[in-house]
Amino acid sequence: MATVLKDVVVRRPVAATLRLTVPAGGARPGPPVAPVLGQYRLNLMAFCKDFNARTQKYKPDTPMAVTLTAYKDNTFEFIVKSPPVSWFLKKAAGLESGSGRPGHVSVSTISLRHVYEIAKVKQADPTCKHLSIEAICKTIIGTANSMGLQVVKDL
Amino acid sequence: MTASLHGRLFLLKHLIPFKSHHSSLLSPLHTTYSTSLSPPQILISPVSTLSRFKTKPSFARSVQLNGVSAFTSESDTSSITDVASDYLSVSICCQKQDAEALSEALLSFGASSAYMDDLSDFGDLDEISITSIFPQDARVGTCISEAASSICLEYSPSYDISVCKQCDWASYVQESFQPTKVIDGLWVVPTWKEPPDLQSTNIILDPGLAFGTGEHPTSKLCLLLLYKLIKGGEHVLDYGTGSGVLGIAALKMGAALSVGLDIDPHAVTSARHNASLNSINPSRMPLYLVSGKGGLASPDATVDDLVFKKGEFDIVIANILLNPLMELDEDIVSYGKPGSIIGLSGILSEQVPQLEERYSKYLDGISLSEMNGWACLQGIKKRH
Repeated sequence: MATVLKDVVVRRPVAATLRLTVPAGGARPGPPVAPVLGQYRLNLMAFCKDFNARTQKYKPDTPMAVTLTAYKDNTFEFIVKSPPVSWFLKKAAGLESGSGRPGHVSVSTISLRHVYEIAKVKQADPTCKHLSIEAICKTIIGTANSMGLQVVKDL
Repeated sequence: MTASLHGRLFLLKHLIPFKSHHSSLLSPLHTTYSTSLSPPQILISPVSTLSRFKTKPSFARSVQLNGVSAFTSESDTSSITDVASDYLSVSICCQKQDAEALSEALLSFGASSAYMDDLSDFGDLDEISITSIFPQDARVGTCISEAASSICLEYSPSYDISVCKQCDWASYVQESFQPTKVIDGLWVVPTWKEPPDLQSTNIILDPGLAFGTGEHPTSKLCLLLLYKLIKGGEHVLDYGTGSGVLGIAALKMGAALSVGLDIDPHAVTSARHNASLNSINPSRMPLYLVSGKGGLASPDATVDDLVFKKGEFDIVIANILLNPLMELDEDIVSYGKPGSIIGLSGILSEQVPQLEERYSKYLDGISLSEMNGWACLQGIKKRH
């Protein structure tokens, strides 16, 4: 399967860039994975097995951001990241948009506990591995403030 | 292909000012476009595959390769509902330079996926289309406008929605399944293809939605392990049987009994079907639906149904994933008799150290085989 990155200078012709959100450890031959991969004739089972194995270290069902490059020869490569901090913050504050939950109350403050929980997930990300929990928390608080969310010690 | 057609149709569409609405209100040109967004209707071929899998997932109409009578499945009462749900496929029109940012933003605002053909395929067009998939109950208009404003888009992207019916994903899976040679004299072959080497041992499979076509490196590693170990007459346990490929292979290699366990009802159905495709008597390959914590799941199974006991198997093979291997370590090992071989796979090479550390308390003589970044760990169950 073409999930092994080859050090080839000549790039294979790319058919498409696919972005999906898939729950960690939960890729199955059905939506959301199948409609997208099926469109480009990619090996669905190979992706599911590969993705699930690679996301074992994340809390199950954390929505992972997958960016998949499909090549014209029906092979593919993908990278996996945990959702952006803003996504977690929106969830924590109850500002879940677009999911059709009428009457759901939204708040503009989140607690330090939320920040810590988010930092723990983010620490497993390849891009954040080298950072300390405190450093990640600081970044998260910064993002929260820029989103208009206030971080309080206790809710 | 249809990709550049998408782009061109959108260009025309953009001249007609309209907002979101369902395909029923659209001009014929647009309806054609929306229909083309539902991949199942257009892309599925050959027709024979489609007719086999009209209901989902039904193995009822599949016919064995050598012309023996068609298999009639028992009713498939799948409790896995997400595979069967409808979903919304939305195509969104935006400027080329905004496409990547918009795709990312959509995922933060409720889309489960966003994809587009490679930007170079759109040539000189300034405007391209992104296809985005949403769950059925999503508020698409709100998502899109929020995503757009989050990346400071100056315009409001136009879009339109089609409802996509559940599809038979099994047929997508089938398309990439090719006859695979595991080793000289051992092949895994789909039912709809002729075995390339009629003299060798051929495992015939129709996996449906279950995992295990023999093509994945972990399947190959496990098949090679079985090939090395089985001398004749062994009792084998396939923990996480999927399509049943390992259990069937073991029997064809000379094992006396091959028991399969899985937490997925699709797997149990698939394995049962594949056993019959390979003319295996069900009594030689009993299959059980188990809970994720170890132990039987089917409410109608009783203790009397347990034709296997713990500590009875000569070989236990588990090709699953790291987390269940770690959580169910005691359960997996408990099925083996002292001195039996336990084989563990579905793991990446980087995951081997933690697995080895956990299983070293149960197993002696741990060794490793690897293929393309995937690994298979094996060891001998300690005698006490």
